[in-house]
Amino acid sequence: MDLSLNGTQLMVRKAVRAFAREALEEWAGALDRESRALPPEVTAEMGRINLWGIQAPAEYGGAALDSISYAIAIEELSRVSAAVGLGVTVHNSVCLAPLLKFGSAGQLERYARDLASGRKIGGFTVTEPQAGSDAASIRTTAVPDGDRYLVNGQKTFVTNGGTGEVFLVAATLDPRKKAGGIAVFIMEKSMPGFEVGKIEDMMGMRGNMVSELYFNNVRVPKENVLGRPGDGFKISMQALDMGRIGIAAQALGIGMAAYEAAARYAAGRRQFGRPIGSFQGVAFKLAEMKTGLDAARFLIYRAAHLKDRGLPYSVESAMCKRYASSVAMDVCREALQVFGGYGYVKDLPVERYFRDAKITEIYEGTSEVMNIIIGNAIMKEFERM
Amino acid sequence: MLSILVCVKQVPDAGRAVFDAKTGVIDRASAGNIVNPDDLHALETALSIKDAGGARVTALSMGPPRAREALYEAAAYGADRCVLLCDPRFAGSDSLATSRALARAIRKLGPFDLIVTGREAIDGNTGHVSYQLSELLGLPLVTRIHRFHIENGRATIERLYGHEYQKIRAALPLIFAVGRDDNRVRFPRLADIALSSGTVVEELSMDDIGGDAAEYGLAGSPTVVVDTRVFSHTRSRNPIEGDTAEKAEAIVQRLKKHGILRY
Repeated sequence: MDLSLNGTQLMVRKAVRAFAREALEEWAGALDRESRALPPEVTAEMGRINLWGIQAPAEYGGAALDSISYAIAIEELSRVSAAVGLGVTVHNSVCLAPLLKFGSAGQLERYARDLASGRKIGGFTVTEPQAGSDAASIRTTAVPDGDRYLVNGQKTFVTNGGTGEVFLVAATLDPRKKAGGIAVFIMEKSMPGFEVGKIEDMMGMRGNMVSELYFNNVRVPKENVLGRPGDGFKISMQALDMGRIGIAAQALGIGMAAYEAAARYAAGRRQFGRPIGSFQGVAFKLAEMKTGLDAARFLIYRAAHLKDRGLPYSVESAMCKRYASSVAMDVCREALQVFGGYGYVKDLPVERYFRDAKITEIYEGTSEVMNIIIGNAIMKEFERM
Repeated sequence: MLSILVCVKQVPDAGRAVFDAKTGVIDRASAGNIVNPDDLHALETALSIKDAGGARVTALSMGPPRAREALYEAAAYGADRCVLLCDPRFAGSDSLATSRALARAIRKLGPFDLIVTGREAIDGNTGHVSYQLSELLGLPLVTRIHRFHIENGRATIERLYGHEYQKIRAALPLIFAVGRDDNRVRFPRLADIALSSGTVVEELSMDDIGGDAAEYGLAGSPTVVVDTRVFSHTRSRNPIEGDTAEKAEAIVQRLKKHGILRY
């Protein structure tokens, strides 16, 4: 068992870290303050260095990296801007990845290259105002109409909703069949009847144009169904297995940023004649932070490793997301405490980390839903015994 | 298609290294190793030519076996071929012995249309190698390159030297020495990083490049380090008195004194 990163993974870390510091850092604060998206030239440069196709095969213009490298890239981006990390991980893991896995030759031809190069940004949406954790209860409908489906309904909290152009959309062909009646459609923003609703005014992740989407008699060609029509729920759940590794890596990145800021501050800030980090009350906080972050990182790497070996990893993915998001929240809370009053003002990014961290316990399955997945697996294992 | 060789050196990461201000010596064990920053600018020069009109870029490094890491990184940026010049008999080489070994390796690997080096390395800071290569290979060296264009075996180069601007034309082959002000190093593509793990680093030893052991390593190095000092730059404040015209005149005089304004 080798717990060290290989040469490629180390180089990915170095390269993405450098990119994040040199090209993203100057934007991170403004994206949050002004709730705006990255300028197109930065998005394009991210495309040139393959951040929009981290794991996509080279034939589609991707970097064909392994899942640990993927997690490293998301962590490094999120350390500097969690909102950018969010856009990248959602595009890669729950839009492009399922397309590559389940897409037909025609669908790949049509969409994979544009997505992997970042010429088009992608999204994925199941959630509706009345269907969150209970994903099978979605009400967006798809009704066959000749060689097309007529799609009607509303999606909410859609990451990349404002900037994306290609979305994987879950809709029901037959609400009575619940999960078995769901299909995933590849939909383009340019399709008539496809409308972007309000951009959410959020607590954190403000640099991502999370929005509502409305579908009003959108005519979607039948060849745009991803996989088989009744497999939509399964496809969505599989997409989220990978998605959660990305969100966990994002949480880890936020936590790392907060921890490093706190450690640097604790070493420099003097009270009572000595650095505050020399007081056990502060040093213990840092010790807890570092330990939690390392534990989260190894849970993430394990899930990624299992995925790359083609082994089941749903439960491990849920565990790493469940844990990393809690650690991120704990670390941010304690890091802010280390900063005292300076942590609470907007001059420093610690309060941004704190606001950004919270959502990692909510999206792509809440911590409670993660516990359901993990708990069900435990029961299955022990009922057999 | 042009054939370009880039010299790449692995150096201690000065940002992380523990530096003894008294002795001026870097504790190499304390630092990780990086590609010498100027050499990344040299590589960028070569890659920009490759992007513009096609070129085959060879990265050459002289160093211990771990210098291979620097070559993998060069490959990750887009170098096509990587060669490590490695032999225990090279250990302790000064800049002259290093240049001698590099020049012989370049002759063996070449011919090249262009050789690009960094201006200087952050560990020794001699800045000798490009000049010595120029002498040993009998090729013109161009420094302070602001902009250049290569076409039909000729380079047109705009140079910014101090406060002078020069535009020169020179026939290839040439040596360029490139520093951090001369271009902006790209971010490597993840796809190139992924491919670089499969890079085969060719190795050359003293036996491959020829010469005698007495010409390399400590034996072949005439340089003796007598003393190293750390320079510190300080700024001082010099208030200028008078009305606006007098102040302006005083500034002009000062700029002339330092050769910044001439006329």
